[in-house]
Amino acid sequence: MPPPTCLRSFSQLSLDSAARASMASRARAHAQMACFSTSAARYANPVSKKKGMAQTKKGNKTLNVKKGRNTVQDTGKRPAQGERKAARKRIVLTNDNALEVATLKDMTKADVLSEANQGRVLGIPEATVDALRAVEAFKTTQGWSLFRRPATLMRKETIELAKVMKAAEDDKKTLRRVLSGERLSGKSTLLLQGLSMAFVRQWIVINLPEAQDIINAHTEYAPLPDSQPTQYTQETYTASLLSQILKANNTAENPMLEKIKVTTSPALPLALPADATLKQLIELGIVNPEASWPVFVALWQELTQPGRPPIMLAVDGTAHMMKESDYLNAEVKPIHSFDLTIIRHFIDHLSGAKSLPNGGVILAATSQSNAPSTPALDFSVQVAEARQVDPSKTPRWNPYKNIDPRVMEALKDLHSPTAKEQLKPLDVIKVGGLSKDEARSIMEYYAESGMLRAKIDDGFVTEKWSLAGMGNIGELERASVRLRI
Amino acid sequence: MPFISNINFTEGTLVKRSLETFFGIGPKVSQSIMARFHIQPWAKVGSLKASTLLDLTAELSNMKIENDLRREIQDSIIRLKDMGSYRGRRHAMGLPVRGQRTRTQIATARKLNRTLRGGDGRLGM
Repeated sequence: MPPPTCLRSFSQLSLDSAARASMASRARAHAQMACFSTSAARYANPVSKKKGMAQTKKGNKTLNVKKGRNTVQDTGKRPAQGERKAARKRIVLTNDNALEVATLKDMTKADVLSEANQGRVLGIPEATVDALRAVEAFKTTQGWSLFRRPATLMRKETIELAKVMKAAEDDKKTLRRVLSGERLSGKSTLLLQGLSMAFVRQWIVINLPEAQDIINAHTEYAPLPDSQPTQYTQETYTASLLSQILKANNTAENPMLEKIKVTTSPALPLALPADATLKQLIELGIVNPEASWPVFVALWQELTQPGRPPIMLAVDGTAHMMKESDYLNAEVKPIHSFDLTIIRHFIDHLSGAKSLPNGGVILAATSQSNAPSTPALDFSVQVAEARQVDPSKTPRWNPYKNIDPRVMEALKDLHSPTAKEQLKPLDVIKVGGLSKDEARSIMEYYAESGMLRAKIDDGFVTEKWSLAGMGNIGELERASVRLRI
Repeated sequence: MPFISNINFTEGTLVKRSLETFFGIGPKVSQSIMARFHIQPWAKVGSLKASTLLDLTAELSNMKIENDLRREIQDSIIRLKDMGSYRGRRHAMGLPVRGQRTRTQIATARKLNRTLRGGDGRLGM
């Protein structure tokens, strides 16, 4: 090989030497590569890879479009069972960052039902807060977590309800009220105020926190023996309701259920100890869910004996119980909600078929956020609302809508012409907007809690009152406390 | 672990789902069985009482499900074949039975139309 290489090299060298004499050595190397033989390159030692190159290649990200390869390994810890639901349902009732309102007074047994409270913000006593928590009266959507401790505005509607409760207490009447109104107008809060007033007045309180939970077919059901037409009991739900009743009505400062002895001889599937108290009766139903409905019936019978305290019976989300439930009967037909024993018990009292001998109030709050269509209920409420404004102008029934005759029958008292008496047995409390005085009062409370940093004067109150759609309290809270711009 | 018709289910399984694992029980039938025994649609097998499980097993033993149902289907196909009917022949050839075109789209027929339709035995959950 050397001869041709050398010859060519020399000839190249002679050509280039004139132009680039200084770079002769480089030119020689270049000439070697340009010759026809490849042996030199072949026998040469392999070129070691440059260190930098491999590293840059490694770090490069390439687009990976292959399916089925886990690109991201999820190493996060999964939430424990029930943890997410607990977080969703958590009720926070205090805010350590909010200021204590020095002027805030609590509801007291003596004056909670007095009309002088109108327009005041009253705190809910601690024991009552525990009881309200036990009956699940607080909702996650309400703004309790913004303030130091729970307090409510005694608005016009609250005073109306207080009057009803006073009448029920004094004259041992059974008065029934349906709470209606726009979205965020404070129906559930008014219900809560009714419950807290009842707790403060040491009534017996039975609250069905959400009608939807009763009818959505998530708990066990079974036909009630010897019922015609067939009714259905819900033992798990009834047992949990009994435990709520016990927890809420048998507090440390008012152990009312421990004091009352069982006087009737209820027919129970399980033996009750001799000389038992109502607490023991309820515990029997909690421990043995299969006996929970007979225990509830026995409890109700005990509570309606003469000399017992008045009863507050309440439900939220009423529309759900005014239709067919999600349960199926043996013929695979939907069971009407009124055939579920708990709902029937409530509806019997709401419709006036049964009354409370010791007096009491039946409260049914409607909802605008979570409500199935129930034309019969909507129409009945509309009629009652219209009658309050002008008895001669009531709306007509739309014949193209499906009527549920059982619901219409249950609510027929809402359609009856206005009696001259002061308090109708069944009526609607329309929860409207706040007046400007009430709005000012609640906004002063916001400001004193340190949650609203503004000077509360007429102009400011009017501005927020208007922004809140003429004093809708939920919108008012949104506009003044929650919304930070 | 609760047993329904000698099949073992985990406690967290929905009753609806566990019933529908049986050949011959679909959404409608499972709904009607559950309604008959007053089991709510979201019930889990673990929450059923022992007596309800026995009732369900007794109910299923009276129904034509699983291998009995498979055998009935196979018998009726074999009957068609033995008669020498067109439908029987089409079943045996694995071709569409009800006059569909065969130029394209007969994958389902090739998969299903055979004299021993439905295979044999429980396939499991």
